[in-house]
Amino acid sequence: MLKDKNIVITGSNRGIGFAVLKACIENGANVFACMRSRSEEQEKELQMLSEKYNVAVHPIYFDLGQERTIKEGASEILKYKVPISGIVNNAGVIGAKSLFLMTSMEDIRHTFDINFFGHVFLTQRLLKNMIRNKSGSIVNISSAAALDGEPAQFEYVASKAAMIGAVKKWANELGAYGIRANAVAPGVIETDMVSEMKTELLSGTVGNTALHRLGRPDEIAKAVVWLLSDDSGYMTGQVVRIDGGLHP
Amino acid sequence: MTNLEKYVAAFTEGLGVEESVVNSSLEYQSIDEWDSVGHMGLIAELESVFDIEMDTDDIVDFNSFDMGKDILKRYGIEI
Repeated sequence: MLKDKNIVITGSNRGIGFAVLKACIENGANVFACMRSRSEEQEKELQMLSEKYNVAVHPIYFDLGQERTIKEGASEILKYKVPISGIVNNAGVIGAKSLFLMTSMEDIRHTFDINFFGHVFLTQRLLKNMIRNKSGSIVNISSAAALDGEPAQFEYVASKAAMIGAVKKWANELGAYGIRANAVAPGVIETDMVSEMKTELLSGTVGNTALHRLGRPDEIAKAVVWLLSDDSGYMTGQVVRIDGGLHP
Repeated sequence: MTNLEKYVAAFTEGLGVEESVVNSSLEYQSIDEWDSVGHMGLIAELESVFDIEMDTDDIVDFNSFDMGKDILKRYGIEI
């Protein structure tokens, strides 16, 4: 589905990001695996996947909270001089676990820096490559919480909602260059982030899900692969909600 | 190919115009092709041709054929 495409994925070391990375590789894509910190174990795993599926996997390290390192990371990607076919803006933090009135502006800004502004800046740096090639697909990982306001804290909900606003605008502005932008809004998925949720909140959320279970990262990854592929060539500016029938 | 020839070629390729319209009088929005959409195509082409990554402020300031030459100097490109 993605043979010979070059895909940039942030937060590709775990959770949904790692599932997306694996799914892209299994579908024949070369991948720029963007992560914050270097790990020998992770690099070995990427090397193994690269050899198994005969694709290129480039680990790229930068901190989405620091503009300087994002710029360096983007430059490293651009130096490969390959057409970037897709960007998956996935990495995110859950933010402070407090009510809005008890959350500092510093915490709110920090969450927005990583969940939203970092991705916006990275996309801006890489976009001209896509424009030159007059094609590309951007997929923002948002959240069902951005649509419902639950289950998460203010800064997570608001920053993930901003990711939806971004794809709406990008779809509108970048369609002229053949570039599409869509968002995926997962419900509660089995990731490290969810393991931080309080037990009562988690069980209550699962109880409010029609399928009565958490989602798996690979179930989100399949939708992302489809959005990156030419099979979704006429789809842009949309939010794909994948939540097992969550009704908060 | 000289830098000037590369620069002119980036305009013809990026904006999709004939070489005859690429001269010192060419300015942003002075022709239909150099609109906001064409502008990004031009910048993408310039970055590729000269192997540079332009900052947002420079992309915004790049509003004429002549101004572009000055901006490219900041990236070590003499036209």
